[in-house]
Amino acid sequence: MPDETQTKRFIYPTQGVCPPEIHFKLNSGNLEEIRFVGGGCPGNAQLVARLLEGKPLAEALEYLVGIDCRNGTSCPDQLAAAVTAAKKGNLTPAESFRVLADTSDRCRIGLISSIEGNSVILQKLIQQMQASGIDACYCLGNLTGDSAHNKDLIQNIRKHNIVAIQGERDWCYAQGQEKKSLPPLEPKDRDWLLRLPQVLSFQMEHKKGFVFFGDYIQSLPDYSDFEPYALEMNMVCGLTHFMQDETVFPALEAMIPQFRADIIIFSQLKKWGHWHITGKDFISLGPASDAKGLSWGLLEVVDEKIEFKIMQAEYEGG
Amino acid sequence: MAESVKVLPQDIQEIIEVHEWDMRTREGVQRFRELKAKSLPSVALDGELVYESLIPMQEEMIVEIRRRYKEKNQDE
Repeated sequence: MPDETQTKRFIYPTQGVCPPEIHFKLNSGNLEEIRFVGGGCPGNAQLVARLLEGKPLAEALEYLVGIDCRNGTSCPDQLAAAVTAAKKGNLTPAESFRVLADTSDRCRIGLISSIEGNSVILQKLIQQMQASGIDACYCLGNLTGDSAHNKDLIQNIRKHNIVAIQGERDWCYAQGQEKKSLPPLEPKDRDWLLRLPQVLSFQMEHKKGFVFFGDYIQSLPDYSDFEPYALEMNMVCGLTHFMQDETVFPALEAMIPQFRADIIIFSQLKKWGHWHITGKDFISLGPASDAKGLSWGLLEVVDEKIEFKIMQAEYEGG
Repeated sequence: MAESVKVLPQDIQEIIEVHEWDMRTREGVQRFRELKAKSLPSVALDGELVYESLIPMQEEMIVEIRRRYKEKNQDE
């Protein structure tokens, strides 16, 4: 029987219903923050979440069990299965941040960052990257911006099967915290942002790498200093201030032998940079567009070595 | 580094409090930056960075601890 005195967050992969995931918390045996993510009837789902907020499990289960919608189950029935599994200890609490592994061995990776809702620029960069023969494109947050065109951008990313990594603003938008002056995102777009990986791991020529946006991950609920890649993030964000404080590099060098990754890529600074320290590559991605034009990063294997280049193009507006 | 402090003689142990920060954690990193340390291992005495990148000889550390203890207690 799991410890019921602590708040724990769970993500349940559903079966037979529209939303692929249900997110919820258990706090001293009470249900909190239920969210059906990625599909289904958002209005009804929100109603269920509101009605069950703070309810003890036993009471909630009375409402949930045995409702049929399709495939012999339903969203409430799946929630019942989820909380039952959590109560019995058969559902592991969710990690504080979502890690996705790109399992292919990559040779040429295109990197875009801070696209900030500009679908036109994304389209131009995709064309250039494809012409450069990349075998994968990673688009780091912030994907969304103070833009009325975030929806177009999300559609474009999905259309091209680009691997997107959540940024801080994307996280806020996923929680419904966009500016009131902007048109609100549709629930399905919000859910898409919520389900994005916050860390993407990859492999290149026997080297392991990962990409992440920045230090908002450290403030996520239940963030643990001992989760995979947390050490590298703590060193990049907290110790070196995104590699801007070179005076602490001796301490960084002392910690590097404990790293699991060889290549660490981040985008919060919106400033291009590449540091090679004790066999590890640290890369800061600049913005996709600025006054100089459009830019993207090319990470490739040349003569069995990892190389990073900033690729630029003229800016023609848009 | 912490081991070198933990094996100090009993009479020294009685006049000091030892705090160890784990540099893998955000708390450890924050303390490291507060002390304006640059490298590891580092030892601070009374919140002041005294040894960096080196493990001092036990005798050297004892002398420094005694000196600080004496200074703090000379008015008593």
